[in-house]
Amino acid sequence: MTTAQATHPTDEGIPRFSTVQRLQHILMLVTFTGLALTGLPQKFSAQGWAISMLDLFGGIEFVRIIHRVFATGMMFGVIVHLIDTLYRLTVMRQRPHMLPRVSDFTDLVKVIANNLGLRVERPQMPRFNFEEKLEYWAFVWGTAIMVLTGFMLWNPIATTRLLPGEAIPAAKTAHGAEAILAVIAILTWHFYSVHLRHFNKSMWTGRLDRHVMEEEHGLEMADIEAGNVQRPPGQTVYQKRMRFFLPIAVVLTLLLIAGLIWFVSFESTAIQTIPAYSVPLN
Amino acid sequence: MRWSRWIAAFVALGISLLAGVNIALAQEADPPPPSDEACIVCHTGALEGYVTFGDGSRVLAHLPPDLLDASAHGRSGNADAPLKCTACHGDYTFPHEATYQSPRDLRLRWNETCEGCHTVQSDLTSDSTHARARLAGNNNAAVCVDCHGAHNVHNPADSRPEISRTCGQCHSAIFTIYSQSIHGAALLDEGNPDVPTCIDCHGVHNIQDPTTNLFRLRSPLLCANCHANEELMSKYGISTNVFDSYVSDFHGTTVTLFEREDPNAEVNKAVCYDCHGVHDIKAPTDAQSSVLRENLLQTCRKCHPDATADFASAWMGHYAPSPDRYPLVFFVDQFYKFFIPAVVGFMVFVILTDIYRRIRQGLQSRRPEGGES
Repeated sequence: MTTAQATHPTDEGIPRFSTVQRLQHILMLVTFTGLALTGLPQKFSAQGWAISMLDLFGGIEFVRIIHRVFATGMMFGVIVHLIDTLYRLTVMRQRPHMLPRVSDFTDLVKVIANNLGLRVERPQMPRFNFEEKLEYWAFVWGTAIMVLTGFMLWNPIATTRLLPGEAIPAAKTAHGAEAILAVIAILTWHFYSVHLRHFNKSMWTGRLDRHVMEEEHGLEMADIEAGNVQRPPGQTVYQKRMRFFLPIAVVLTLLLIAGLIWFVSFESTAIQTIPAYSVPLN
Repeated sequence: MRWSRWIAAFVALGISLLAGVNIALAQEADPPPPSDEACIVCHTGALEGYVTFGDGSRVLAHLPPDLLDASAHGRSGNADAPLKCTACHGDYTFPHEATYQSPRDLRLRWNETCEGCHTVQSDLTSDSTHARARLAGNNNAAVCVDCHGAHNVHNPADSRPEISRTCGQCHSAIFTIYSQSIHGAALLDEGNPDVPTCIDCHGVHNIQDPTTNLFRLRSPLLCANCHANEELMSKYGISTNVFDSYVSDFHGTTVTLFEREDPNAEVNKAVCYDCHGVHDIKAPTDAQSSVLRENLLQTCRKCHPDATADFASAWMGHYAPSPDRYPLVFFVDQFYKFFIPAVVGFMVFVILTDIYRRIRQGLQSRRPEGGES
């Protein structure tokens, strides 16, 4: 979190992601894959491949537990992201690069027109272009839906104190459908743009090659070339801002962690409360 | 007492001789082999045909004259080769010795006799909960003749209600409950040919313990035998979607997975009978039904003790969501049926245009070289 983003271009490329951001990505990569691998065979449990996967992972009951462990890991990642974003916006005073702008939509149209040969010029795009914003906000949307519906499925009795019972099967439907959408989006949009088109290593090295910057983030590259980059705050300013940020961040983190613990331990279902044969035969 | 036996012996001998049975004098030293005609003399009522047991008990072994003839073994059921007394009682000598300790002792012995002809059924029965109970020392556990009768054996298919009544001879408490259930009442009161008798669920000769994990995990398939049968259920307007809808919901998915992973696994997820009842199963519209909306919460609470009033409606009652029933589930499903193809279609479209550009650029960059050669 304290890693100030270096803004100086070097031979190794243009600085792009901080260590904390790259760790967040690894956490999301691991938990997303884990959730998909343990979740999809539950959704398609009638299929032979799903049964084989469940067997491989140690049976349905164990798979349910590791699915929840990965879910907890991903929610922890969300907390890290929230605090890190707060740090970037308040201490580092970075512009909210991820917020969608009208130009993103025109960039999209221009890129498609260029791809189809209807337009000669490719648009100059900002630090995060429409491809990345689409993926980021899709992930935000997806995670919000998954956390919300996941809570309902994890704690059905608590949910029905507030919502009608019908919300539970509706949550199950949404959870499964959203999972399909998320996995397909990763396998198409994400894999194409950072693996197939060219292998974008910036999430691992933190730096992006100059020619990729020029092609995909022309506006930011031009700013960097012109020396028009935001400098990190000076020592005294930084320390002053941190004096406000740190206590708030600590309290907020503790509250969010407490919320997470509350989330995962809210309700014990029949799995714990009923032994196998307490239902009498008559 | 002794005298009556000797009188019976003389009369039997006389009749045997009259019937043309040649008994040499030399054979008089050995007891003569009995014949049907001889048996009838004492055991149809002409004389007092008592059977004496080792424990001192005596049983008057009198049969109605036509009982055997009217049975599955006799002339009516087995016209080609009707069984005679000696087919089963062939090892008797005369006068009879008190070979068996008690009447029950004698009944247990018949299993071996039946096995002589009914090998398949006998083999199956030896792998039954009744056979195991007997091996464990419970001599009251049912043997062939307890269920099928001894002389008045009839084809069990002749009367389905009689099948359940037969089990009820010993399992009387369960029979009483069953007789008030939707299945039992239809069988016993109406003679309905489609409802299950005891053996349709529990099996016939190799009846297994119904309290095992195996029985529990396989039980939904048992119910599905009838309840997923379109032809059978359409007669009663019962949905055949019940099994599939069970399997696709929380409990059924887990139970099915457990069954496929390990059929002997212990599972506490509900199977059909946990909600619908076992022997006391009622129509879901019956006021006493455990799955009637008004009673469902109580049923849920058997496993989910904290269940709220709305919790029960999380179960869709085997219905597929529709605009009328579970509209929220229906519309969420419809939304994603539109949303997933729309989003994925958009993404794939943009990717394809990018691939198109790259192919075009690749061709263009190669063109000058091609022009020079």
